[in-house]
Amino acid sequence: MSETTRPLPLRVVTVADDADRAVLERVAAGELDALDELYDRYKTMAYSIAYRITNDATLAEDVVQDAFLGAWRNAARYVHGRGSVKTWLLSIVHHRAIDAVRRRRPTTELPDIEVVPPPQLRMPDVWSEVSASLDADTVRGALAALSDVQREALELAYFGGLTQVEISERTATPLGTVKSRMRLGLLAMRAALTAADPDAGADT
Amino acid sequence: MTCDDVRDLAAGFVLDALEPDEMAAVREHLATCADPHAEIAELASAVPVLAASVPVVEPPAALGARIRAAAAADLAERDAPAPPVAVATAAVAPPASEVVPLPTGQEREQRAAARRGPGVGTWLMGIAAVLAITVLGGWNLLLQSQLSSAQAYEDAVAEVLDVAAQPGSLTALLTAEGGGPTGLAAVDSSGALTMAMQALPPTSGAEVYEAWVIAADGVPVALGGFQVDASGTGTLASTGLPTEPGIVLALTREPAPGATAPAGPVVASGAATPAGAG
Repeated sequence: MSETTRPLPLRVVTVADDADRAVLERVAAGELDALDELYDRYKTMAYSIAYRITNDATLAEDVVQDAFLGAWRNAARYVHGRGSVKTWLLSIVHHRAIDAVRRRRPTTELPDIEVVPPPQLRMPDVWSEVSASLDADTVRGALAALSDVQREALELAYFGGLTQVEISERTATPLGTVKSRMRLGLLAMRAALTAADPDAGADT
Repeated sequence: MTCDDVRDLAAGFVLDALEPDEMAAVREHLATCADPHAEIAELASAVPVLAASVPVVEPPAALGARIRAAAAADLAERDAPAPPVAVATAAVAPPASEVVPLPTGQEREQRAAARRGPGVGTWLMGIAAVLAITVLGGWNLLLQSQLSSAQAYEDAVAEVLDVAAQPGSLTALLTAEGGGPTGLAAVDSSGALTMAMQALPPTSGAEVYEAWVIAADGVPVALGGFQVDASGTGTLASTGLPTEPGIVLALTREPAPGATAPAGPVVASGAATPAGAG
């Protein structure tokens, strides 16, 4: 297992999206080879995200396996959707990984509910929209737009699997402050993305 | 949950950093709200930066083969039982020819008797069990009012409760804003839906009530339709639903059967959660 600090290769999305959809249609039809293709395309990104969140190789493998099996089972339903396959797949990975660390955390009183990804209802395709500009410099630039407390709040949520309420308790910060740090942090990153590529943030 | 509540929770929502009940409430709001809530999309568009910032770690070579094997096993299991796609529609309106009629009064009575067993109310015990395991506000009152309604609805609710009592099932309370039609639905662990609705205005002509499931991707998927007579009671069975907690079930009134996207108004909706949790 090799670990480097180069950012994930996200530049391919715009071209790859139609191909993704074609693969997903075959996955929906129950073609195992198509599942292999989907896996090969996104295994590195999926595993990297899962590993970053769980910090545990075995758990990260389980998360990735669960996520691809979830995609396998739900592809037929998703084919009729509108969002990109990548957005969908990686959001499944993220949510399963968060779910895994939440379950592992002994102090968390988590109801026995499996976390499902948020809907993309009225959400533009977040990956296609910004990923064309997501090269290493852009990622660094967007992260640099965050204040320390904003970065802390976003990382505790996205990678730590903490809820806003838990972040508030952990950092001894009022809940309202945590909420605005997360919100302003996301907006700051979006502004940096838009500045890096004026087309990326366009609503059209 | 109001639009302002959703705006307040939007950042937590796109990061999946809300409490589970808040996540479900936001999802349900977005599924039915007329406001496009552009702030959700705006905040969500920055999230990929976080994902793209992680160090690259290659998965072990064996993982791909393991996933393929698990998928093959899943496929074999899937092919064994009945069809995987949404099928059945059932209606309460007895004269409707294109829909499956409900059982006759006599059949219903026989089935109800079988369920009740000798003298004692198995069915009532089922309700008691659901009451005991659910913490959804208003269930008690709602069930009491349901108990006093038509026999057809009682039978339909009993079927939902049978499903709800199975391990791994999800249950949803369907309600309308400001009162109106209400109902119960349960999704078993294989993704089969059983739904019972009451107080629905009767349909006329080709009109149907169409049920929808809205899952993680936010896209409403049609589950089938049914017509309703003067009794106001409607039931539906369908299969192929996602089995993730938090899916939203919604009912719309459509001018004709076969809609692939909801066009009519939402009549009632509710999020499905595990029966034992909340």
